[in-house]
Amino acid sequence: MLSTRVIPCLDVHNGRTVKGINFLNLQDAGDPVEQAKLYSEVGADEICFLDISATNEQRKAMFDVISKTAETSLVPLTVGGGVNSLDDFRNLLNSGADKVSINSSAVYNSTLINEASFKFGNQCVVLAIDAIKNFKMPSGYEVTTHGGRKKTQIDVLKWADQGVKSGAGEILLTSMTTDGTKSGYNLELTKLITDNVDVPVIASGGAGKPEHMIDAVLKSGASAVLAASIFHFGIYSIAEVKKEMSNNGINVRV
Amino acid sequence: MKLIIIDYGSGNLRSVENAFKKTIIDNKFKINIEVTNDLQNIRKGDFLVLPGVGSFPDCSKGLKVIDGLVETLSEEVIHKEKPFLGICVGMQLMVDYSLEKIKTSGFGWLKGYLRKIKISGSDYLGRRYKIPHMGWNNLNVSDKKHPILRNISEEEQFYFVHSYYLDKSLESEVLANTIYNHEIPAIIGKKNYFGVQFHPEKSSFAGQKFISNWIKL
Repeated sequence: MLSTRVIPCLDVHNGRTVKGINFLNLQDAGDPVEQAKLYSEVGADEICFLDISATNEQRKAMFDVISKTAETSLVPLTVGGGVNSLDDFRNLLNSGADKVSINSSAVYNSTLINEASFKFGNQCVVLAIDAIKNFKMPSGYEVTTHGGRKKTQIDVLKWADQGVKSGAGEILLTSMTTDGTKSGYNLELTKLITDNVDVPVIASGGAGKPEHMIDAVLKSGASAVLAASIFHFGIYSIAEVKKEMSNNGINVRV
Repeated sequence: MKLIIIDYGSGNLRSVENAFKKTIIDNKFKINIEVTNDLQNIRKGDFLVLPGVGSFPDCSKGLKVIDGLVETLSEEVIHKEKPFLGICVGMQLMVDYSLEKIKTSGFGWLKGYLRKIKISGSDYLGRRYKIPHMGWNNLNVSDKKHPILRNISEEEQFYFVHSYYLDKSLESEVLANTIYNHEIPAIIGKKNYFGVQFHPEKSSFAGQKFISNWIKL
């Protein structure tokens, strides 16, 4: 039976893990290679790196992080952040990433999903969608870019559908309203997407405790759950989350 | 001894190389790895690994672009009986044909053809089935005594990501299945050639055990 995936995500800046609130007051929080290795040893089903470097110079450090992580963590590795072109895809995959997530660039470069999935296969193209509530949108949610700062006037459901048709193999769905709040995933938004697309959906944004993960799966149909801070700050371990999920009838890998 | 990872432009060679390297070091096997598409080098290999991600037609095209590669593989694997492992699309290429995008022939070493995973209905939690079949799944082993599955229990899980599955296979050529809405052959093979639908290189400890079992066959 297929397990529901639990995915820790690390924010990486200039080759180091950082923590901060809304990308401000970044503080060094360790070596992403070591952290990914630890996560993979304690049951992370995949590892996700989000590169929040601002400059190309800082971004180069990421390739080294990816290649070292790929040598030591033998679980799938998704990398996102600042991916703008087929060359970015190629460089990340050649460094050892298994999947690449694209966000803003998919909005501003409408053919990138198509080209990337054609060139590298659907399985490695993850469409990351950052959504906010907007009653004026047909589905009630709008796509944003640049970490939620820019609105696009694009309806989230239409965008997800279009992304899948263009070749995205998975959707990483973040609710910008709940992100960082630890008050739980946006269940309504997650269900809206899982009900309407054929590809797996990773719920993201707002995980504060295992119940939130359980709800995302049981109430919203998520195929996977992603969290950053609760794992990073050791509030819950991956094993604790999985145990709770398992107690609630969700099959997980132990 | 030399283990060849065949480079025909199809994706995650680094991951495959990393994982095999780790298995070789951890088990102290006296094997060197070479990633190559050079036919001379491939002929010198003692173990042959054919990875593959992306679509069947693209991978098939990638192989055919290298003049003589398919013939060389057939010579080394079928006639000289060298140990061979196909991974994901590399496994799929071992069978008769695939219906992905357009009907494309495979090597025809094993019986069956690839068709799209059926996603009608919902899973045990009422979720709609999604495609690709992506994530960790366990194996239902048909031949429990087969050495390729030594020390691997049916609870252990492997990482899958694929949208097409092998149908109309021969029962005798399927060593293990996995279940995703329906049965999906996960390990196929006979004699000296085997294929896996999952990614042992991304399957953590379980994958390492599998790779080591295959090398020891």
